Amino acid sequence: VSVDEIVCREFAELATEYLEGAMPDETLELVEEHLAMCDWCRDYLHQIETTARAVAAEIETPDAAPPAQALEALLGAFRARTRGDASR
Amino acid sequence: MTVGAMPLPPGTAPPSGGPRAPDRDAPLLAALRAGDEQAFATLVTRYHASLRRVARAYVSTDAVAEEVVQETWLAAISGLPRFEQRASIKTWLFHILANKAKTRGVRERRTVPFASLRPADEGGGRSVAPERFRGDGDAWPGHWATPPRPWEDPERRLQSLEARECLRAAIGALPEVQQAVLTLRDVEGLEAEEVCELLDLSAGNQRVILHRARARVRTELERYFEEPA
Repeated sequence: VSVDEIVCREFAELATEYLEGAMPDETLELVEEHLAMCDWCRDYLHQIETTARAVAAEIETPDAAPPAQALEALLGAFRARTRGDASR
Repeated sequence: MTVGAMPLPPGTAPPSGGPRAPDRDAPLLAALRAGDEQAFATLVTRYHASLRRVARAYVSTDAVAEEVVQETWLAAISGLPRFEQRASIKTWLFHILANKAKTRGVRERRTVPFASLRPADEGGGRSVAPERFRGDGDAWPGHWATPPRPWEDPERRLQSLEARECLRAAIGALPEVQQAVLTLRDVEGLEAEEVCELLDLSAGNQRVILHRARARVRTELERYFEEPA
């Protein structure tokens, strides 16, 4: 990061740090100055945010459920354990 | 690196302020304790894929990762009566998993992937291809040469089957460590500090890994958006 301004190439590496609110104040100031005048980097930032949301939405649809046999075995273990507790 | 005894998850309150608050598992807890199999099946279905993706960062094959996840569920079943709600069920599960996976990784004599990681190791280049920026001899060095174009109607287009396939492939192509961090942060909505603790990462490394993961997936989505709809 150069001393008195941030350029697009640098912002491209800093977008998540910015979103996380994890920047030291002086860097934050430079980033906000840059974003105020750079539509492209604001687009980039939006795309990073959109990507994070898309990742969350996609994996909520479980495409990788446990193998049926494994699930059966786990349910069996769960049943045994619960019964064991109940009989104590 | 501590291996062996399973520490209780830290924290005295459920995570707050994350993208996923409130905790959607909380209503399951009473049913789980009462031995409701449906509640347990729901929990397994909800977390199995994410647990496996995180396990995969520690062990060498998908099959071993699946075994580690099985061990995690069995440990959760026996630990359930002692679960104290100092953390969410989710955080608790990932703590059990991280311990099992570390132990297994050590047994496999695999280098623990996170502990010795430097950002550069997991960087895999830059977040955006260097040729998309103007060169140092240019009047505007470091500014976009080929800027990102705004995505049209992303909410709608990202729901298409094609976009979702592209997304899944992009995530699947990430290095395992990036997949693990992306899963914990963006999918499961864990806090940065929780992820650092789970994976023995410094705050700075965690952010770099997360950003590289998002940036790579963004690049693939950009390709998708630039094709004619």
